[in-house]
Amino acid sequence: MKEKVTFKRLQDIPPVAISLGTLLWNKTGTWRYLKPKYVVKTPPCNEACPAGNDIEGFMVLVKEGKLHEAWELIREENPFPGVCGRVCFHPCESSCNRRDYDEALSIHAVERHIADAHLKSKREKRHTKIKRKERVAIIGSGPSGLTCAYHLARMGYGVTVFESQSSPGGILRVGIPEYRLPKAVLDREIADIESWGVEIKTNTRVGKDIPFDDLHKYQAIFIAVGAHQSRRLHIEGEHAERVLSGLEFLKHVHMGKKVSLGDRVVVIGGGNVAVDVARSAWRVGARKIQMVCLESREEMPASSEEIAETEAEGIEILPSAMPLRITSDGGRVKKVEFIKAKLGEPKPDGSLNPISIPGTEFSLEADSVITAIGEVPDLSFLPREVPINKGLIEADEMGFVHVKGFFAGGDTVNPVHTVTGAIGSGKKTALAIHEYLRGGWSREKFRTIQVGGKGTISLKKYFHPPEGEANPPVVHFQDLHTDTFDHQPRISIPRISIDERRGGFKEVNSGMKGEEALEEARRCFHCGVCNGCDNCWVYCPDMAVKRKQGRYEIDYDYCKGCGICFEECPRSAILLEEEGR
Amino acid sequence: MKMERSFPEEEYFMSGHLACSGCGATLGMRYALKALGEETIVVIPASCWSIIAGFFPYSSLKVPVYHVAFETAASSATGVKAGLEMKGDSTTTVLAWAGDGGTFDIGLQALSGAAERNEDFIYVCYDNEAYMNTGVQRSSATPFLTWTTTTPVHQTKEEAKKNIMEIMAAHRIPYAATASVAYPEDLFNKMKKAKEIKGLKFIHILSTCPTGWRLPTQLSIKAARLAVLTRIFPLYEIEYGEKYTMNIKPEFHPVEEYLKLQGRFSHLTDSEMGVIQENVERIWEKLLKKAEA
Amino acid sequence: MRTVIEGSHAVSYGVMLCRVQVIAAYPITPQTHIVEKLSEFCASGELQAKFLKVESEHSAMASCIGASAVGARAFTASSSQGIALMHELLHWTSGARLPIVMVNVNRALAAPWNIGCDQIDSLSQRDTGWLQFYCESSQEALDTVIQAFKISERVSLPSMVVLDAFYLSHTYEPVDIPDRERVDKFLPPYEPKYKLDPKDPRSFGGLTGPDTFTELRYQMQQSMEQAQSVIVEVDEEYRKIFGRGYGRMEAYRCEDAELVLVTTGTVTSTSREVVDQYRDEGKAIGLLKIKAFRPFPSEEIRRNLKGIPKVAVIDRNISFGSGGIFAEELRSALCNEKERPLVFSYVAGLGGRDITQETISNVIEYTLEEDQPKEASLWPDLRR
Repeated sequence: MKEKVTFKRLQDIPPVAISLGTLLWNKTGTWRYLKPKYVVKTPPCNEACPAGNDIEGFMVLVKEGKLHEAWELIREENPFPGVCGRVCFHPCESSCNRRDYDEALSIHAVERHIADAHLKSKREKRHTKIKRKERVAIIGSGPSGLTCAYHLARMGYGVTVFESQSSPGGILRVGIPEYRLPKAVLDREIADIESWGVEIKTNTRVGKDIPFDDLHKYQAIFIAVGAHQSRRLHIEGEHAERVLSGLEFLKHVHMGKKVSLGDRVVVIGGGNVAVDVARSAWRVGARKIQMVCLESREEMPASSEEIAETEAEGIEILPSAMPLRITSDGGRVKKVEFIKAKLGEPKPDGSLNPISIPGTEFSLEADSVITAIGEVPDLSFLPREVPINKGLIEADEMGFVHVKGFFAGGDTVNPVHTVTGAIGSGKKTALAIHEYLRGGWSREKFRTIQVGGKGTISLKKYFHPPEGEANPPVVHFQDLHTDTFDHQPRISIPRISIDERRGGFKEVNSGMKGEEALEEARRCFHCGVCNGCDNCWVYCPDMAVKRKQGRYEIDYDYCKGCGICFEECPRSAILLEEEGR
Repeated sequence: MKMERSFPEEEYFMSGHLACSGCGATLGMRYALKALGEETIVVIPASCWSIIAGFFPYSSLKVPVYHVAFETAASSATGVKAGLEMKGDSTTTVLAWAGDGGTFDIGLQALSGAAERNEDFIYVCYDNEAYMNTGVQRSSATPFLTWTTTTPVHQTKEEAKKNIMEIMAAHRIPYAATASVAYPEDLFNKMKKAKEIKGLKFIHILSTCPTGWRLPTQLSIKAARLAVLTRIFPLYEIEYGEKYTMNIKPEFHPVEEYLKLQGRFSHLTDSEMGVIQENVERIWEKLLKKAEA
Repeated sequence: MRTVIEGSHAVSYGVMLCRVQVIAAYPITPQTHIVEKLSEFCASGELQAKFLKVESEHSAMASCIGASAVGARAFTASSSQGIALMHELLHWTSGARLPIVMVNVNRALAAPWNIGCDQIDSLSQRDTGWLQFYCESSQEALDTVIQAFKISERVSLPSMVVLDAFYLSHTYEPVDIPDRERVDKFLPPYEPKYKLDPKDPRSFGGLTGPDTFTELRYQMQQSMEQAQSVIVEVDEEYRKIFGRGYGRMEAYRCEDAELVLVTTGTVTSTSREVVDQYRDEGKAIGLLKIKAFRPFPSEEIRRNLKGIPKVAVIDRNISFGSGGIFAEELRSALCNEKERPLVFSYVAGLGGRDITQETISNVIEYTLEEDQPKEASLWPDLRR
């Protein structure tokens, strides 16, 4: 039936003009001058995630109700979904293509939902098969240190983490308040990391409790001490009583130590630490809290959500003002004098360059002043051979310091301090250490494991190189064909009321319910990744798109190259290229 | 948001056929047969489908096909159905599959006769809005102000598109519906519904023709979708000539979105598009009123 | 059963006895009585058939085509304008090899309107691939309808059974209506080799090219040629069972005739009278009644006219710019014979004009007198 029919003699032709075969012998693929191809492209969320989460991937799993599998997928790249799902500034949502259609996906909340589902489950001890002989030392058990430890342990290396504080976690433990990141969540995720065989030595400050030289028995050393030294204001009166640094304050709060702030608190700074400070101060009883920063509202580094919550809690934000002096009375803080300012071009060293506006002086009454104008790493303990420039360790994008065996990451190398950035950095460094210990590293390798062009890498790509292009182009909104998408707003995440927050550190954001997570995952466009929507199969006029195990295959014998599949693919997972002849 | 489509896997239409690249009429038949299944006899008068169904000695369909004279889709189908009944077969569906020329123009008499007698078969008019198979000449289904080879740019079609649905409604047949190849589930469901009704069922499918509409082939489905979204081709059903049901009430999309895709409308001035917009709105309002009644 | 019925009704009985399954018809004078009777049969259940009251003759033939394609036995009747309207589909039916039987009540074609007997409607369709049988009596009409189904179903070509308007359709004659049992034995149910069947799905009538069309047409011609003998066989069989047969033609008193009249239809009955009169007077005049016109029985005609010096063909039709059609076809059949009669062509009886004994006598007299036939057909009943 598939062959051409040939008539040799009169008798071969039937008396009635009936069909004797099909047209399957007619390979209409020869008509084509454009050829459709299935491709996997990079979703912008995946490119934007500094930790390298496969966001699109976990949305598929959540949609299918497979929360545990979604958790495992995240954990291939990032051991801290519970943390990130609470504290990350979610650049994924800012780059989500859906925001150009109606509203971005609540990726942040879905990540948290996945982690919380796991939290309810039992702990498991895991082992890797390969037990390598090399051992790695990691200084600092913050997000970058622990992430690096996690990945190295999974690769079969022995890892020891040296932590100066009494409990692990770094900034996650002492810098982020309980109402944003409940310590139970942090404890569980750290325990999950330890269950891979990571050794954490707390109360061990390198350079003090143990000499640096002790670390030379390790084949590689990762410096991940974070930035815990607060910048000074360098203004008159900053040494008065009740003038504290933000980190200091937060650490006291974390340890449960009572801090007497008085009624009126002035917080100086516009970033997340300043916000954390202000909101914590409100919770420990300060009555009037004013937050003053150099930046304008739009320029404030703190996220808009945090700013909104701050104001909801009754804290006043006064942007675009520069502190001049702190006035004390009898050694106690009385007021702070400010002048309004605009930010000019940043200084050569990158720091802010405020230009004061004459005649706009004002002052604020204060019982205490808390400064949160930036933190820097304390690198004084490091040996001389570790290169330091402008207060940061010089390392390449993977964390190589290029001095034998030394690696650095997180806030020790990055002036922009984000938890997720640190996690991503820790992951890259783990890979860098692995490559170093295995005998070589190439830039080419780095290129092949990138996700998009913002420096994000994927460990999955490293261990399981994909077929086809290693780092395919990122999908932008104009690449999508949105005709078949309905409009649907994102799930809004409920928060506890102001009364419920007052006087305590109960977690402010409530999580999503199961159906909400499902609904939200259904909103995902799956940019650049086929998810079996069947559009190409349904709309092919030549039946040349065949369904195959949940995905598709094009029968090029018959495909006429009309391009309907390309146009109807909502998520740009089909490419049309010129037919080469 | 529509995700996986729940169509039966089985195809009754095979690759290798001679339809133009991007043809919408192929999809109409593909979905129709998925709904009707293998116990179907298709009657095809002169039209593009006379070629798509395969030249002698080949067939591109897995169901029996009878090629008939241009104006006889409805009358031949009548005979086929009568013959089947007399042979004791009352389950095989008879599907007349005619183009707009063979329905609105030369085939209208036979269709009216069959409708008046309420013959029991499904009549599909796959409408590409001109005599496409013979080279894009105008038919009474060609919309107002459209370019065709017999309504060239300096004298485009002056008459409005004939309202075939109202004609069928006037015959009070049990079921008449419009459909678009961009809405396959809707078309599929309507065919399934038609199969269960006794009497004459008329389905009017908008079938994109990239060749005759001067449209890039890849936009074939998009055009069929925009025709519905701009309300130029509303999706609705009429039962017994009285009960009107709107299947989709899209938000406002200006007709320009649809018209500007196609070369056959590239000569339209803004004021002409304005007239078209007004006409579309007026007809839409009337239709809504009928549906509310 | 022996009874006296109208010619039209004789046809209706024939159709009923053949257990036709689908009838699609559109009324036109003088066919109406045929279909009216048939709709009574259908309503009473005497005939188990679907009667499709279509909205034109074109649709009537299209519906018969559809029904026959599925394997049902189909019938229609028409006349004049209706036959002309069906023209496209008459080609279609034979090309599709469908054994539909149609009764054509010979009536003139407009313009101007005329409802009288004229053979132009059937003869205009002589190229369409339909078998054509011309009937002289009501009995013959009934018998021919029954035979036609058998012949058509055997050669897979449609048949047109022709009756004269009013002279045959609306006159009453004694008719013997055969019993069902014997007709059932003679004409078994229709079982086509190729039919529309979802269990064996095929496409019928798709586009052909120059590479195959010739063979398809040749096969039709072959079937037409095969029909020559099938007609004779079936007629023989019919004669054995029912005691009546007609052959492809009837030579009446043609032995050693000086002149043979060639006629078709009811004028044959009148001609028999005239021939008898001449024979009584000792004049050697014969009559050749042609029943089967398609396929044209050339060979038998040649045999019947061997040695006959003159032939006078009475045509109740005219092909404008040429002449009487039966005469033309006859001349073609004879043209290669070394010895052949002179063929005199006469056109008479158009538009229902009665061809009287007088007209026929005049034709005979004229033919006997003239040594050579004129080029053009003569019009013996023309007003002078």
